[in-house]
Amino acid sequence: MSVSRLKNQLLARLTTAFPRLAEHFVAGYQAQQSRGKIPFVRPVKPLRSARLALVTTAGIHHTAQPPFDMNDKEGDPSYRVLDSNTLFDDFTVTHDYYDHSDAEKDPNIIFPLVPLQQLVAAGVLGSLADTHYSFMGHIDGSHIKTLVEKTASEVASKLKADGVDLVLLTPA
Amino acid sequence: MREYTEKVQPPRTVFLRWPFGHPVGEPGNSAQQQAVVYEALRALYQIAEPGTIVDLPFRWRRENYADYQAPQACELE
Repeated sequence: MSVSRLKNQLLARLTTAFPRLAEHFVAGYQAQQSRGKIPFVRPVKPLRSARLALVTTAGIHHTAQPPFDMNDKEGDPSYRVLDSNTLFDDFTVTHDYYDHSDAEKDPNIIFPLVPLQQLVAAGVLGSLADTHYSFMGHIDGSHIKTLVEKTASEVASKLKADGVDLVLLTPA
Repeated sequence: MREYTEKVQPPRTVFLRWPFGHPVGEPGNSAQQQAVVYEALRALYQIAEPGTIVDLPFRWRRENYADYQAPQACELE
């Protein structure tokens, strides 16, 4: 593993253990300011009859899938398609910019599949999609354009084609 | 990070000032995870103003979820 990856992983552990350090890094990093009207639609169906999918930026994926590119300093705007029926049997997290040791113990803290399945069983939520999507949330520079214009847009089209009404995005 | 959310401007957000990498809570704390998911869904149905960020009142590791009141069905439609 490269020195730069080790440095990123060490920083991720430190900023999780000492949140004040994280605030220092935030002050030094400028997230891209969104422009224009904020996209917004009200849910058209009550939750009890709606179909929900998860999208995460926590970098979780099936072990058999290619990892996100952690050697590119500007990140990786690609996504992985997740099958909720098998994901928790064999998953990994590729993301050097946060400490995912707790998420590896219980992936529900980044990808709350079990709490949502319980809501379906209780009749609170209509249904849960079988297919969900994962990004790795460190995306910067020229990759922001790829994310906005290509990969995020592709995921939105796939969710629509799958009859998904609601999306819960979990960041990390 | 709330500062990132304010810039990215998602349609609606529930925010918790919890450690990075724990957006839904701690490993094995199913009552906590369920409460966070419920609050996200409540916000989805209740927020009327685009870009609203709801700061959830849950404290990290000191919250008693036994007293948590899940949203009523009428708040989720």
